[in-house]
Amino acid sequence: MAQVKAHTSNDTTILINAVGGLQYDLVRFKVKPGAKVKIIFTNKDDMSHNLVITGPGARLKVVNAAIALGNDGAKMNYIPKLPEVLWSVPILAPGETKTITFTAPKKEGVYPYVCTYPGHGFVMFGAMYVTDQGMPAMKDDPNIPPDRKKDMNESSAHKDHSTQRAHSYREVPPYLYRIFVPDASPAAIAVNLPHRVSYCWDAGECRLRYAWQGDFMDNTDIWKGHHDSYGNIMGTIFYRDKTAFPLQPDQPGNIPTVDFKGYQLIKRYPEFRYTIDGIEVYELIKPKENGTGLIRSFRIPKTSRTIWFVSDAKDGVSYQSSAGKWINNKLKLLPDEARQFTITMTKK
Amino acid sequence: MKWYLLILSLAGLLVFSDCSSQKENPVPKESYKVESIPTPEGLTVETGGLDFLPDGRLVACFLRGEVMIYDPKTKKWSLFAEGLHEPLGVLAISNSEILVMQRPELTRIKDTNGDGEADLYETVTDDFGITGNYHEFAYGPVKDKEGNLFIALNSSSAGGGVRPEVRGRLDTLGRGADKAMFSVVPYRGWIMKLTPDGKLLPYASGFRSPNGIGFDLKGDLFATDNQGDWEGTSKLYHIQEGNFYGHPASLIWKKGWNKGNPFDLPLQELDSMRTKAAVLFPQDIIANSPSQPLCDVTEGKFGPFAGQLFVGEMNSARIVRVMLEKVDGELQGACIPFIDGKGLRKGNNRLAFAPDGSLWTGQVAYGWGGDHGIQRIVFTGKQPADIYSMNLTTKGFDLTFTQSVNDATALNPDNYKFRNYYYEYHKKYGSARMDEKPIPVTDIKISGDHKKVSLTLATLQRGYVYQLNLGDIRTESGDSLDNKIICYTVKNLVDAGAGK
Repeated sequence: MAQVKAHTSNDTTILINAVGGLQYDLVRFKVKPGAKVKIIFTNKDDMSHNLVITGPGARLKVVNAAIALGNDGAKMNYIPKLPEVLWSVPILAPGETKTITFTAPKKEGVYPYVCTYPGHGFVMFGAMYVTDQGMPAMKDDPNIPPDRKKDMNESSAHKDHSTQRAHSYREVPPYLYRIFVPDASPAAIAVNLPHRVSYCWDAGECRLRYAWQGDFMDNTDIWKGHHDSYGNIMGTIFYRDKTAFPLQPDQPGNIPTVDFKGYQLIKRYPEFRYTIDGIEVYELIKPKENGTGLIRSFRIPKTSRTIWFVSDAKDGVSYQSSAGKWINNKLKLLPDEARQFTITMTKK
Repeated sequence: MKWYLLILSLAGLLVFSDCSSQKENPVPKESYKVESIPTPEGLTVETGGLDFLPDGRLVACFLRGEVMIYDPKTKKWSLFAEGLHEPLGVLAISNSEILVMQRPELTRIKDTNGDGEADLYETVTDDFGITGNYHEFAYGPVKDKEGNLFIALNSSSAGGGVRPEVRGRLDTLGRGADKAMFSVVPYRGWIMKLTPDGKLLPYASGFRSPNGIGFDLKGDLFATDNQGDWEGTSKLYHIQEGNFYGHPASLIWKKGWNKGNPFDLPLQELDSMRTKAAVLFPQDIIANSPSQPLCDVTEGKFGPFAGQLFVGEMNSARIVRVMLEKVDGELQGACIPFIDGKGLRKGNNRLAFAPDGSLWTGQVAYGWGGDHGIQRIVFTGKQPADIYSMNLTTKGFDLTFTQSVNDATALNPDNYKFRNYYYEYHKKYGSARMDEKPIPVTDIKISGDHKKVSLTLATLQRGYVYQLNLGDIRTESGDSLDNKIICYTVKNLVDAGAGK
């Protein structure tokens, strides 16, 4: 996660951190030709790292020349004397920060940055795009480490200089936001799951509202404050609840009154707790392994009433259940069956 | 720098507690120092709430939903909870449990497995409406001695709308014309009381933007409100059950309300219904956007102002101090800058006293004119040269200083420039200072201990702010005053017949 701040269109500050797993947290950024660039490089890893910006295509040549420095390497910060080395931050110990400033080349191109500490440079690198144009989609970018091509920042990285680091920590799914999202009550909860699936669970109505595939959310606008706004859903919605309420006691059509009680995090997955006509319900939602849908685990431990799970044929998913009996689009669960059951919803 | 401050503050405390060691310890130049607290990289320090856990660590919540804990001993931050919806208040219950007021609900957040991170989020109350309007902030909670919790619900802004789906019963009766803040779901514009058995009850109405509630030592509840429509200038209200405090929108949720759109009521009727402020914060003079009132509970650790209120100010690098007294059965009093500048940032949204008696302030901007960050204010031990209290008398005001003042300067009438004015109660956004005029001081007396000055004024008028600009009054040791402007709100006059 890194911050790219635009002062003017020609004046760019880039924050790059060395982080665990031999990587830079920021694997690419874009500057305009001739821009004034300030890079603030911080080593947040527990090993030493440097940052060397090379001419286009020269990364491996510089990396190999650094290894060839042998005994002299350490005192030269593993930075070989080559014309292809354009700018560099010397070796930083864990916790150190150093800033360099330079004027970006006039010539458009992809300028690699790399850690030339022996052994690091083959995997620990990124790309400075010097261009007035856009960057390729991250998944198609040959200039970044292959295992970083699914970076969650992709959507915002396209937005030129507007990328903001969201928090002091890296968010790893599952995680959630209580935030304004479209097509739900103002008391919505957006949950990002592994396998690039997300869903909106509405604490105002105690029900799953919709689910989507792709990236999670862009909260940039809402976090500006002081105006009406929504978090933007950054994927494709494949499911929307079209019922009045999916859990109906006794018989279909009986819409219960609901009350939201909160949630417990179980291995970081929220298990929601709410009541329907006073009956306590627990609901925990996980992604299907391949990301093609959701597995909803319900517990209604104290029900003495039959529970109907009601769906709509046009809600975008097909259903499987661990218990109960489907009658058209309605699942009938006897009290014993309703105590614990799962409903798997697969994108059609 | 930090060591320097630490030494200063230790030296100061020694001076304060043991006069005999005064010679060995240099007296600090300033009474209060502002220190910035380092915050984690990547954290957008929009501070919504601050409190201290029983073990002395700071718990802070931020508008992007984080709750983080800071250990002042190790200077390390850790994440406690995340994903909350614009949390604007935190109350520590134990080292592993907090209450957080977030936009849709009051939530109890617990670390049940002892790993330092919360895993249980329980809804304490969500029994109020939200429309999705950006201005529907929720403040608090604060707790009274009986265990009731109080929260405050902001009115909605005409700068925003109402979403297609709302939570709570929608009733558009409570909408005024043009730019009026509104209340179309219960109980926007109210302060609510949550009983220990979980019932959320409407407590007091008529608030526009009550960004801050707090108790004093006696158990009186206070809330600030911000200048705007129906608020000629910003205010501190003494909150009492059932009272209406002036902004009409919320009235439609009053039990048995049958008077239609409250904005259509005659001004006089609204004016007669409302409870006036205990203290007015004159706009551009004292505060433009006051936030949380916090009582000095430090019993002297933070200096001489124990029992008084500190109030954050959003629009300038200031924290305000409030001193109150009961006149004719109601609380009223004066406000004075406490810290101005000295490295303090703007956006002072939340205050909390640390166990060591330092005052922590959390800052916010969130699209307004504040700042980001957390700072703390440390008493160095040097006695401030300031007005300790300002009390209304039958003839004028008594000023009590924190230390003896020099007679010649204190008895010089040129050093007291009074003016008075009032603020209009009307639907317009803010009010000019009305009927503003100088008020001559006709007599000055000083007490035998040289700490109290009794001023006689040519006139005293109920409903007016008395703004006093002080000249170069010196303490006996020659220091000039730390703050030279103070504003007293004469809500009631002292009854000469009642005796003192």
